[in-house]
Amino acid sequence: MVTIIEPTKELVTIDRIRVAAPTASADPPSSRETVFDVRDLSVFYGASQAVKGVSLQIGARVITAVIGPSGCGKSTFVRCLNRMNDLVPSARIEGTIEYHGADLYGPAVDPVEVRKRIGMVFQKPNPFPKSIYDNVAFGPRVLDMTDGLDDRVERALHQAALWDEVKNRLKDSALGLSGGQQQRLCIARALAVEPDVLLMDEPASALDPIATTKIEDLMQELKNDYSIVIVTHNMQQAARVADMTAFFSVEIDEGEQRTGVLIEYDETRKIFTQPADKRTEDYVTGRFG
Amino acid sequence: MRVTFHEQLDVVAANLQEEGELVLRGLRGCLNALERQDAELANEVIAFDDQIDDQYLGIEQGIETLLALQAPVATDLRRIIAMLHSNLHLERIGDYCVTIAKMIKLTHRLEGDQAMLAAFGEMGTRAEEMIRVAMDSLATLDDGRAESLMQMDELIDRVNRRAVEHVLDLGPEHETREWGLRMLIISRCLERIGDHAVDIGEQVCYVVTGEHREFTDASHQG
Repeated sequence: MVTIIEPTKELVTIDRIRVAAPTASADPPSSRETVFDVRDLSVFYGASQAVKGVSLQIGARVITAVIGPSGCGKSTFVRCLNRMNDLVPSARIEGTIEYHGADLYGPAVDPVEVRKRIGMVFQKPNPFPKSIYDNVAFGPRVLDMTDGLDDRVERALHQAALWDEVKNRLKDSALGLSGGQQQRLCIARALAVEPDVLLMDEPASALDPIATTKIEDLMQELKNDYSIVIVTHNMQQAARVADMTAFFSVEIDEGEQRTGVLIEYDETRKIFTQPADKRTEDYVTGRFG
Repeated sequence: MRVTFHEQLDVVAANLQEEGELVLRGLRGCLNALERQDAELANEVIAFDDQIDDQYLGIEQGIETLLALQAPVATDLRRIIAMLHSNLHLERIGDYCVTIAKMIKLTHRLEGDQAMLAAFGEMGTRAEEMIRVAMDSLATLDDGRAESLMQMDELIDRVNRRAVEHVLDLGPEHETREWGLRMLIISRCLERIGDHAVDIGEQVCYVVTGEHREFTDASHQG
């Protein structure tokens, strides 16, 4: 707290004092090391094209939000980043996604290893019908990471800001937790296998405002160690939490075919104060559609 | 608890306090230059205003970001609005310091009246105290302290009201009249600095009570 300020007697020395501008950052989020380098990505489900020609780079240890109207392909896009779309038989991609410089879809790449490095949290909390402990221990057990398992589980629960709430009932069923707690448990479950990236697909849309705030605060903590990509319907959530924001929209061709396209990708501050594209401006100001 | 948002809000508040410090330094430079008729120091005050302006712009951008990204409501919203206004008030005080410094440069070779300079020294000291009280009450959201600015301002206003008569009494010489007219501008600047400190106090009361209220109605003063 500032109390009485003693003014200096003369100005001679104070001309050397420079005060940093509050928002100027030495290391803007757009300049971070690249985790994903996406080039000309298109995604098809059978004959229909869901996403067309997306190119962008996602940085390390920043939060990147993907926003846009329903059907703009934002979830489809994010699912490509850990090959979740492999599980959809009709899905295929064109273009390339490099993850730390390696082709994510290269022939030698094991999708299971991909999903270990690139964890995912979904819209609806989906804990297994097991104990809290077993939920978090599930991944490490499957991946044979069982040395010091208790410590690993505790660490993950700490990181997910859930430990204090569950430490005395680790053997209780995860289904007895509140929705917000279940979602943080799912985050702990993803963190337990030491991923590098966390993909979050509408992680707070099923939660009340208080639980949502907890998840958002948690994301700010986690970005010190992880790169986070969040898909959100809630524009304000992107504004609050993200360093970078990608705005997707829908293009409709003559045959009524709807395809998701990337309209604008920039620092979040720029997207919400001075978007470069009219379509972004219309969306963030609520004039869309 | 929205940790990040509240941290960012505190950063803007701290930057505003720093701006208050810069403004106080500028004003002290002015008052010393006035007392000693020191044109060189007056030049420094003018150059120093760039730092105040930089700080002002940084704060404005910080507030723009918070409004655009955080959708503040209730007390948070009032605090941000009060900071936006106070930022401008401080910047304006900096500009008045520049005007005073320019007047010093125009008059330092002229024969001046020591009694009038002494009165300005007193006004300036009161103005400094008012800025401190305003910034302190903004930091602590102490509306009682903020309201005390009204009485403090009356003391400055009183000196300002006497300035015209004093100048008329200085004498008929061209140089003396020139000096006196420029001194009236300085008097007016110091009086306005006090007003801006009062305005910051009004912002404090707005944050605390949620009501916009002028402490005094300048248009109905006697």
